[in-house]
Amino acid sequence: MRSAAWRISLWASLAFALGTMLVFFMLHRFVASDIQSRSDAWLAGEVKVLGDVAERTPKDRLYSRVVSEVAELASREVPNRRRSCESETGSVFFLQAGDSGPAKLWVGSGDGSANLLAIRSTKALGDAPYDIRVEGFSVPFRVATVRVEDGSHIYLGLSERDELLVLRSLRIRFLTLWLAIVLLGFVIVFYATRRMLGHVREITEAASRIGQSDLSSRVPSTGANDEVGHLARTLNHMLDRIESTVHQLHTITDSLAHDLRSPLTAIRGKLETALSSDVRVDQAETIVSAIDELDRLTDFLNTSLDVAEAKADALRLSRTEIDLDKLVRGMLDLYEPCMNEKGLGVQFRSSGSVKVLADPALLHRVIANLLDNELKHLPASCTVYLLLQTDEDMAMLTLEDNGPGFDADVRRQLFERGVKGRDSRGHGLGLAFVEAVVRVHGGSVMAANRSEGGARLSFTLPMWKIATEQGSDSLVMAKG
Amino acid sequence: MRLLLVEDEPEIQSFVKQSLVRAGYEVDTAEDGKAATQMVSRHAYHGLIVDLGLPDQDGIDLILKLRKSGVTSPVLILSARRSEDDRVKGLELGGDDYLTKPFAVAELIARMRNLLRRNSLQAEDATRIRVCDLELDIRKRRATRGDEVLNLTPQEYVLLEYLCRHAGRVVTRSMLLAEVWGMRIVPDTNVVDVHIYRLRGKIDTAGREPLIKTLRGIGYVLKST
Repeated sequence: MRSAAWRISLWASLAFALGTMLVFFMLHRFVASDIQSRSDAWLAGEVKVLGDVAERTPKDRLYSRVVSEVAELASREVPNRRRSCESETGSVFFLQAGDSGPAKLWVGSGDGSANLLAIRSTKALGDAPYDIRVEGFSVPFRVATVRVEDGSHIYLGLSERDELLVLRSLRIRFLTLWLAIVLLGFVIVFYATRRMLGHVREITEAASRIGQSDLSSRVPSTGANDEVGHLARTLNHMLDRIESTVHQLHTITDSLAHDLRSPLTAIRGKLETALSSDVRVDQAETIVSAIDELDRLTDFLNTSLDVAEAKADALRLSRTEIDLDKLVRGMLDLYEPCMNEKGLGVQFRSSGSVKVLADPALLHRVIANLLDNELKHLPASCTVYLLLQTDEDMAMLTLEDNGPGFDADVRRQLFERGVKGRDSRGHGLGLAFVEAVVRVHGGSVMAANRSEGGARLSFTLPMWKIATEQGSDSLVMAKG
Repeated sequence: MRLLLVEDEPEIQSFVKQSLVRAGYEVDTAEDGKAATQMVSRHAYHGLIVDLGLPDQDGIDLILKLRKSGVTSPVLILSARRSEDDRVKGLELGGDDYLTKPFAVAELIARMRNLLRRNSLQAEDATRIRVCDLELDIRKRRATRGDEVLNLTPQEYVLLEYLCRHAGRVVTRSMLLAEVWGMRIVPDTNVVDVHIYRLRGKIDTAGREPLIKTLRGIGYVLKST
């Protein structure tokens, strides 16, 4: 669950980061081109003024001074000026030169030869300002040019340093802010998702607990009107319906049992009354066998209703803590003489107390069922081996024998209702009942023939330790 | 002894009453909870037999109401329900007993006798029980017949003690399973009988009068005189 919150917030933050980055990229481009066009406009205007001045000023001794003054003045009005420690010298230059030969006029830092070289090596296209790289300067210059009458050109260069500084500071600020926002976003998304998924996890855990134990509990509802709250409410509605269905099933089986049992009781009573009055021996035989049949019918009725309820996960359990070791020993106390009488041996191996949370009456019937089966189907001089084992959280009881094993034709569907061996006189519900009861307790049943001959049947039940935790959990849940 | 039978099914009421009368009890009947309450206020009954599915109220509520109003007689609960709620278990712990329908009449009478005797003879802490020439030393968990000490397994001793405590009365297989082995099961094999045969083999040795009698289809009885 945590990893899901992690994944969601990671992807959300990534998408957010990429999106904002893209927006910034567009903005950056826009700002850069705007700055450039502004400085281009300034350059174009100034170079035109300079060109005019150069044209109008008589070419005498004062010429160079006048033009230089104007150029200096112009350089004071540089756009995007940063009040940095570096003076404007070096950020602007003015140059008048012919197509060849040295510069006629130079205003700027240094002697201007490097600038002239750079300008001449760059092919200018039309009148639009262009970039040059001058040796000795890390930042390129933007140069505008105008042609004067005498055939020479006037160049006005503006260092792009300020422009780049503006953009750099923009980038740094954005990146800092961007990182902070993305991190904050990640944290917020992560916690929000985790909270949300935490509710979902609580619901899942509660739902699985309800599936295992009681149907009267409900999943915790957040009360919020969002999807999670909706999920909780939907689940609880579903549980309401399941509970009422199970309740209905109970009502049906109860009334069925009641409606059948009352006449059965009456019939049995009448037969017994008839038996106790003076009857001939042959008549008594008939009545006794009728009573026997009636008892078998009753047993069949009870077991099939139990199996039906268990198959629908609606078997009513009254669970208590049981020591499986003690329970099996108690059952063997009861069964061992009878088995010995039939010539069967019994061996029980167990490493001591094994606590499970189960319905003792049902477990008694399960084990009685299995032992009755062995008694009825094993030929004399066979041995029944019982083994009680535990692993981390399950207890496993294995019943093995060295008899003929399960019939091949019933082995595949041992736990189905009505499946029984050819010679069996039972109603074929025994193992279906065993399987149903074990499953209702959260365990499973396995049956197979042993490779060395004989049958092996084992079932598992969850150990009590886990059951305690579940119990306390559902208590908390009920309170919350 | 006078008993009250609270049962709404006329067929069941009639044969249960008939068998109880034959067993030597005086029996009054009531069809519902209201009638039962009136009857109890008019007469003092030694024991009650109450069906849980009464037309006007739940049998358990009736029993609890009667208990509250001071009725201490033992109650045998008859139930056609499949599983009993915890309240029935509570009553069972409180000294009452219950039987699931359909039941054997002999079982009903055996259990009723058991309840009535338990009620009249609360003190069962005698250290010795004598039945004919069979004697049980409860403290030492030792049984003797005549001069001979019987060599019993612990299980057999518990079984014999139960039979001795119910000497002269019928004990059914399901009573033995519930009281001696502590389980309510209906095995479809003769597991209980084998225990009795073995016990009989040790007690009723050749030349002695047999004490344990089998009642076919019902259970066993230990001869008392």
